Amino acid sequence: MRIAGENIGVRGLTLLAVAGAAGIVLGIHGWSLHHQGVPSGFGRPQVAPSTSAPAPTSSAAAPPAPGPKLSSQAYASYAFRVWPGPVSQAASAAATGLVIKVRRHGSGIMVAASVAGHPPAAPRFYSTGASVYVIEATLGDDSGNTDFDLGDDGLVVTDTQGRIVQ
Amino acid sequence: MTSKATAGRSDLAGPAYRFAAEWAPTAARMLLGLVLAWFGYHELVAPRLWTGYVPGAGASSQVAVVMVLVHGWVLLVLAVAIVTGLALRLAAAVAALLVLQIVITLMVTGGLTDLTLRDAGVLGLALCLTGSSRQRAVLTG
Repeated sequence: MRIAGENIGVRGLTLLAVAGAAGIVLGIHGWSLHHQGVPSGFGRPQVAPSTSAPAPTSSAAAPPAPGPKLSSQAYASYAFRVWPGPVSQAASAAATGLVIKVRRHGSGIMVAASVAGHPPAAPRFYSTGASVYVIEATLGDDSGNTDFDLGDDGLVVTDTQGRIVQ
Repeated sequence: MTSKATAGRSDLAGPAYRFAAEWAPTAARMLLGLVLAWFGYHELVAPRLWTGYVPGAGASSQVAVVMVLVHGWVLLVLAVAIVTGLALRLAAAVAALLVLQIVITLMVTGGLTDLTLRDAGVLGLALCLTGSSRQRAVLTG
C-alpha cells in the first residue's frame, strides 16, 4: 500500500493498527479517570479535596472537618511543602505562577493563595501545626515565572496529622 | 610528520563520519519517536493535566479533554510510525506540523521562553526527518 508516495506493507499496517487500538484503550482509560486529579485547582473552579471534607463557606468560619490524609491521595507525589520551611527548590518551582502568602496569626497561620496577576484571595485561618502544600503535577509546564498550565496546580493545607483541611 | 598526522586523523575521522552518516538519522528518528510517544502516552492516560495547553477551550471543559485525547492518540501513532520508519517522511511532516502549532501557541501565550525554544528544537528534528532518505533499522513488509 502506498501512502503519499511511501510503501507500507501488511506488517506495517498491522503495527499501526495495533498502535491505534492501544491508543484508543489508553484514551478510554484516560477519559474514565479525567474527572480525578489534583485538588483545589487554580486553573479550574475550586473543589473540595474530598467528599468527606465539607467546603468552607467563609474565611471567618471555623476550620472544616479534616478529610483524608494527603499521603493517601493519588496526587501526594505531586505535593510540595511551602509551609513550614525550608522551602525546597522543587517547591519554589511548583509555586511558579502562584502567589502564596502564609503568616503566623495568633494560635495558627493565615494562608492566602492566588494566581499571579490576579486579585489576591481572602486569607484563611488554620490552627497551629498546619502545613501548606502546592500541588504541581507537571513541573515541565513552568518556565521562568510563568506557569503555562495552571490546570494541574492546586493548594492543600493539612493538619498536624497530615489530614487535608483544604 | 605533519602530513602523516593529518592522514592519521583522516583515517580515524573517515569511519566516524561514515558511522554518523549511517546511524545519526536513525538516532534522530528514534529520539523524536520517543518524545512523541512519551507525550502521547501521558496525554492519553492523564488528559486533564494537558488541557491548559488547548487554545480556545477552557482548561476544565470536556471539549479540551477530548482534544487532548485525540492529540495524544495522533502522537502515539506517529511515534510508532517514526520509530519503525513506516511512511517516515509523511509521519515526520505531520509531527512537524503538530509541533509547529505547539511552538506558535506557546509563543503567543508566553512569548519566547525556554519551553518554546526547546520545542523549536524538536520542530527542527522533525523537519530534518521529512527530508531523510537514508535510514537503518526500518520495518519493511
